[in-house]
Amino acid sequence: MRTTRLLSLGAVGAVALTACSGGGESVDTGGGGGGGDNVLVAAVSAQPDQFDPHVTSAYPSFQVLENVYDTLVVPNPEDLTMEPSLATDWEVSEDGLTWTFNLREGVTFHDGSEFDAADVVYSYNRIIDEELNNAYRFATVESVEAVDPQTVEITVSQPTPNLPALIGAFKGMSILPEGAAEEFDLTTEAVGTGPFTLESTDASTTELAAYEDYWGGAPSIDGVEFRYITEPAAALTALQNGEVQWTDNIPPQQIESLEGDDAVELATTPSVDYWYMSMNYAREPFGNPQVRQAIATAVDRGAVTEAARFGAAQPNQTAIPEDSFYHYDYAPFEPSVEEAQALMQEAGVQTPITMGLMVTDEFPETVTAAQVIASQLEPIGIDVDVQTVDFATWLDRQAQGDFDAFMLGWLGNIDPFDFYHAQHITDGGSNYQGYSNPEVDRLLNAAATETDQATRKDLYDQAAKLIVDDVSYLYLYNPDVVQAWAPGLSGYQIRADKAINFENVELP
Amino acid sequence: MVRRIGQSAVVLAGVSVIVFGLVHLVPGDPVRLALGTRFSQESYDALRERSGLDQPLIEQFFTWFGRALTGDLGVSFRSGETVTSQIAERLPATLTLAFASILVALLIAVPLGTISALRPRSIIDRVATVVSQFGISVPDFWMGIVLILIFAGTLGWLPSGGYVPLTEDPGAWLQRLLMPALVTGVVSGSVITRFVRSSMLEALGSDHVRTAQAKGLPTRQVFTWHVLRNALLPLVTVTGVQLAYLLSGVVVVEIVFSWPGLGQLALQAVQARDYPVLQGAILLFAVVFLVINLVVDLLYTAIDPRIRR
Repeated sequence: MRTTRLLSLGAVGAVALTACSGGGESVDTGGGGGGGDNVLVAAVSAQPDQFDPHVTSAYPSFQVLENVYDTLVVPNPEDLTMEPSLATDWEVSEDGLTWTFNLREGVTFHDGSEFDAADVVYSYNRIIDEELNNAYRFATVESVEAVDPQTVEITVSQPTPNLPALIGAFKGMSILPEGAAEEFDLTTEAVGTGPFTLESTDASTTELAAYEDYWGGAPSIDGVEFRYITEPAAALTALQNGEVQWTDNIPPQQIESLEGDDAVELATTPSVDYWYMSMNYAREPFGNPQVRQAIATAVDRGAVTEAARFGAAQPNQTAIPEDSFYHYDYAPFEPSVEEAQALMQEAGVQTPITMGLMVTDEFPETVTAAQVIASQLEPIGIDVDVQTVDFATWLDRQAQGDFDAFMLGWLGNIDPFDFYHAQHITDGGSNYQGYSNPEVDRLLNAAATETDQATRKDLYDQAAKLIVDDVSYLYLYNPDVVQAWAPGLSGYQIRADKAINFENVELP
Repeated sequence: MVRRIGQSAVVLAGVSVIVFGLVHLVPGDPVRLALGTRFSQESYDALRERSGLDQPLIEQFFTWFGRALTGDLGVSFRSGETVTSQIAERLPATLTLAFASILVALLIAVPLGTISALRPRSIIDRVATVVSQFGISVPDFWMGIVLILIFAGTLGWLPSGGYVPLTEDPGAWLQRLLMPALVTGVVSGSVITRFVRSSMLEALGSDHVRTAQAKGLPTRQVFTWHVLRNALLPLVTVTGVQLAYLLSGVVVVEIVFSWPGLGQLALQAVQARDYPVLQGAILLFAVVFLVINLVVDLLYTAIDPRIRR
């Protein structure tokens, strides 16, 4: 049974206001921690590590920061194209080297100070000068300058058509007030322009309060309380009995049974994440394209998806999900044991061979998927040794090239550049498999500077075809975003980029 | 006593060296973990330098050790907060759960163990054996989830988890403490029950108890004066060990019940290879063990005059 989609990209994402009665009984929480009647309590799966948007890389932090800070541009909830936020509009010069952003007027930070161009210059230069982890997004940026208080000019060394996506993809590119790093302890305090202010944070909860002077109008709820509930069964119970009104931490095996549950409003939408397997070109026989193609033919993505995600995912043989403008409908591999065996024979490999498949318990779905893949590769003479290690060890081994094959996902991709570039270009920063194809390099480099959208898509399609045929990555699936909330909660929209924005939420 | 404290200080210094060495030997790079998946080499180098990880290891050790002597355990890689404040923030929840669990454990273990010892091989004894076997072998996360599903889900009597300080709201504090304390208490209590039973049996069978009974002393007097005092000694030891273990956090139960204790902090620190926090937490656990050992020894001499040195 496929999940009935409550909404998808392209559909209007307002939650249906069904008059739901019944549902779980509300527990008297004894006044402990609840911030009042008009506060949304959201159960998230982990504690934010810190709140400096330029420093953290943790999703739990961004779940909070999403509601506190703003960027110049933001992904539109429907199709993730960039739309105005702190910048009202922007233009790019004829030669593609100068971007001019006009800034919104009448915006204030949570400390009362006025927002202007100096804040943008300060924020971007902080990332660049201190080599913070998003500095790579400014790789082509020569300078960021304030033309006047309402205008910012960004000069690039080569045309960078995805500049808006680079500066707007997520809250890691937030605008801080000038001098914020000296004035505030940004790890525990936040000074944004967003709809909520950061009130307090501890080892159990993080509390936000509505910012009355928000440029987009004050939120209708008084605040948000993020409660960290790591165990999915506990998070779901808390939603069902009314302790919390929203969660994204749902036991995957219970998604299907929740669809008929009146006490819970369940929503799923395809995400912009993708999960994949990759092999080490430096280790024989995995450098042999026919061996890789044999493996790609032996893997049954449908079965992998069913086991790893209980069906809450879309099998895909390329990286970009089908709802995106840049989706490329290409699926050359038809699962077939015979064909895969034939390819192995053609490759002239002495079977059986052993393949270590490195996965991490940080992402349990990779462990499940690897076990399924192991059973699928057995008939073609590949004995898979599933190696489950913790994430730190996994990253070390990946960086050192100490693997036959590994599985992981790329999360939060917005632009095709995010999906393909650093992973497949020769010596790319994320090209751990050691793939090198001059034609792919040419296409990716051309696409990176191509300003015409249709031409750009065509270049990425051509590159993707080669990447898939060569099995640089063996793409598996795009997982769904799965979230649930209390029946009658309105004004919330589930998004493919997993940004959770509570600005317009109204409680039942 | 003074000598004991001196010895403890030497032990702690040794532990510091070992802890630092072990923590830094664990594979995994905190810088890579902190940066996420997409970053440039320049960002990597900059963060490595900011964290002081580019210094020679021996230098890092002496910097850390010198500061630790003054009570400064450094700053967390993950959160940017001081290690001492992170530990202090989680101490109340850990202390609460540890002492509540020990209380539950003793309430289970002392009566059950005593009755089993007085009536060996009776129905009660067999039931006690089965119960304690159950408590030891059932995974605590399973027990925790079942309790949540019953009491927070089906019955709706208790919140599914979380922690509220006693000072803020005693009712809410107790509501949230019940389930996690029960789970850890049952596990510890099962261990302690066996100790109580065997030490009681031993005391009951000992020569001076038989002598006392032969002298015609009333059973009650024999029991309280001779049996209990002798049986208390191993009980104090095992309770001390259990308490020390509980004070170093109970990771699984903390996660199931969203209990913000030291176990979760240590786990997060391991996952992020947050060396300063990890070192601080392990040092704290070492101190806890040393202190509890000291207290157990003192109790011993109070209970049993023969041990006076």
